[in-house]
Amino acid sequence: MKNLAPLCNLLLTIMLSVWTVLLWDPLPLAALLALELMLIGYAGQAGKLARPIFGLTLVAGFFAIIQLPFDVAVPTAIASGLKMMVMTVAFLLLFATTKLPGLTAALVKQAHIPYEYAFLFTSALRFVPDFLAESQAVREAQTCRGYVPSRNPVKRLISYAAMVEPMVLRAISRSETMAMSLELRGFGSARRTFSQQIEFRGRDYLVLAVLAALTAVVVIYR
Amino acid sequence: MQAIQFEDFSYHYPKTGTGLDRVSLAIPYGSFTVLTGANGGGKTTLCLAMTGLVPHFFGGSLSGQVLVDGQSTAGRSVAETAGGVGIVMEDYESQLVSLTVFEEIAFALENQALPAALIKERVSEALAAVGLDGLAQRELSALSGGQKQRLAVASVIASQPKILVLDEPASALDPEGAEELYALLAKLNREQGITVIVADHDLARAMPYADTVVVMEQGRVALQGTPTDVFAKMLSGQIYAAAVPALRRLKGRLEREHQALSDWLTADAAASEINALLSPQRRLSLSA
Amino acid sequence: MLDIQQVSFAYPGHAPALKEVSLTVAAGDFIGLAGRNGSGKTTLTRLMVGLAKPVSGQVLLDGQNTIQCGPATMARAIGYVFQNPDRQIFRDTVAQEVAFGPEQMEWSDSERAEAVAAALNMTGLESVAAAYPRGLTRSFRQRVAIASALALKPRLLILDEPTSGQDAEEKAQLMNLLDQLNQQGIGVILVTHDMELLLAHSRRAVVLHQGEKVFDGPTEELFAAAAATQVTEWGLRVPDVAAVAGKLEKPLGAVRSVEELADRIEGQLRGDEREKSGAPV
Repeated sequence: MKNLAPLCNLLLTIMLSVWTVLLWDPLPLAALLALELMLIGYAGQAGKLARPIFGLTLVAGFFAIIQLPFDVAVPTAIASGLKMMVMTVAFLLLFATTKLPGLTAALVKQAHIPYEYAFLFTSALRFVPDFLAESQAVREAQTCRGYVPSRNPVKRLISYAAMVEPMVLRAISRSETMAMSLELRGFGSARRTFSQQIEFRGRDYLVLAVLAALTAVVVIYR
Repeated sequence: MQAIQFEDFSYHYPKTGTGLDRVSLAIPYGSFTVLTGANGGGKTTLCLAMTGLVPHFFGGSLSGQVLVDGQSTAGRSVAETAGGVGIVMEDYESQLVSLTVFEEIAFALENQALPAALIKERVSEALAAVGLDGLAQRELSALSGGQKQRLAVASVIASQPKILVLDEPASALDPEGAEELYALLAKLNREQGITVIVADHDLARAMPYADTVVVMEQGRVALQGTPTDVFAKMLSGQIYAAAVPALRRLKGRLEREHQALSDWLTADAAASEINALLSPQRRLSLSA
Repeated sequence: MLDIQQVSFAYPGHAPALKEVSLTVAAGDFIGLAGRNGSGKTTLTRLMVGLAKPVSGQVLLDGQNTIQCGPATMARAIGYVFQNPDRQIFRDTVAQEVAFGPEQMEWSDSERAEAVAAALNMTGLESVAAAYPRGLTRSFRQRVAIASALALKPRLLILDEPTSGQDAEEKAQLMNLLDQLNQQGIGVILVTHDMELLLAHSRRAVVLHQGEKVFDGPTEELFAAAAATQVTEWGLRVPDVAAVAGKLEKPLGAVRSVEELADRIEGQLRGDEREKSGAPV
């Protein structure tokens, strides 16, 4: 999938989800899951994704089991657990094999989503690690001057101001600097290049053909 | 024509009313200028005025004008002015908006709609210039503070500006990091002819590189000239005198009671001249 | 009062940040803590206040192991002033801001008022007690952070790069404040890259290099000529005053500031003149 166009990968993920919605038998769902796992192995991401997939399996298993006391048939319970697995793994697969800038470029140029929205999405991701680091720094600064979260829930809520206010003010100053940076760098200009390779090539069309064929099979099969 | 020219420029922020007061200042192409002065004296505002962000981004009232690369900032968009002058802001981490190093440097170039092949070339050139080769695919969150700063410099010089402005770039760096940053700026100044303007409180680390020092005070240019002249005037006029590098403070103190000394750049030079001053041979020659 | 014994620390998945570091801090010490970024300075100070726990070794406060004490408990003995005051200031007036710690400790109203008044007095903030702290300059906000730590009446104050973002005059005023606090018996650990400040103000210097303590002694000795090459290896810069003094043929003794060095040189020169005119030296 690393060698496919980002939009092709996105379509693959969407189609996997569509099939999952259409199918209700555990067997074909299990086959889809096996396909996804093979793709993950092929992309060399098995090591990186082993832990999240293991966690997901536990959650999906739990999800299947808690349905049983509610008179749900065993195959249906298994199928719903599998559905959850297949859909989530499809997105894990997408993000593990497709670079975000490529996806942004595809959304803008091929799916015609306005660049401003696509940019908003990626820049939000850019600030997640910073935001986490900042919240830890604020928490530490406050505990070092005696801050103890109270056991009384009302007091606790009030004392959150000690955490929230410095972070909000920091976020405001950050967004001001970022706005200046965007203006300096000509953000929002009418014409724009995307340096990522996103055009469809032969193998992308091949994958699209397989996707279409499989969809037909799924529709007829059910 | 000057790289940057302030012509009787006054500016007031809309909220606080503070800003710049009748600033006239010419910075020639190819110079290396250090901008200093007490906090609140107008250093940052002066930096922002060189990029057009003052007044375009902040609003506020102004008179006079600023010419950057021969063009008035008032009549052009910030992005147009930024083609000639790049800035690394004090909060440089917030200036970075992308997920990976490559995207960050490519961002401005993509907005200029340059061809993809040229962008690739410019990105690798910029990375090589700041010593971050091979890190193009690295995520920003995996970079150290010093690396992020180099990245901010790289993303600015990729647009090939003639002028580079940095607002207190070394405040989070250790002495070696600061030294490396100044060496990098000196290299860009020397090899690519980029005009460099750095706002800094620590004049000792800037002294080996700067050819011009500007001291701001209460929104005005209080002093401007060669480091030697400006340091002498800072001491004699008690203008932000605490910031004068230790060697020059020592020289100033000794010259009060004794003859003129040379302009020491290193501790070695200072020590050998003081040794001569204190040597017994000299005492003999004086008493002879 | 604080005894750090053979402390090691590593962040998960990283090389050790501290390797068997021992350090004894006496009441009323003024220590300058120096080293490269990443040498372990911050890790060491975090261990002192309980923000991190050692992997091996122990941190003793008045002979008691602090392994069970969180930072909020430690704040009664050791105040920690972070580099950026904006990460903690959140109230409407300076006085309220400084009262935050005493409130968390659930002290009585009179104890609280007394602690706040004392902290404002020690930091020279009485005149801005009713001001909105975010509207003050960075150097005043830094003072508010120091006052907030002092309000819990600690015996030791750790400051992480307190002079960053301050201009030369603000720096001098801040260091003046630290000297005053130290004269009142409060211990100070100053984490800094500014060797000129370290030489001028801290009596004792501690240097970390790659997670190990490589120097612990009088600050003047750190920059003595013989040690100077090592100092550079540790990523520190020898202050020009010490470098000049170290290269003079006529030893003038250890000097801590430009003024002291100039006085000594002038004293020598005056001595020369007296010799010349035949007056007794």
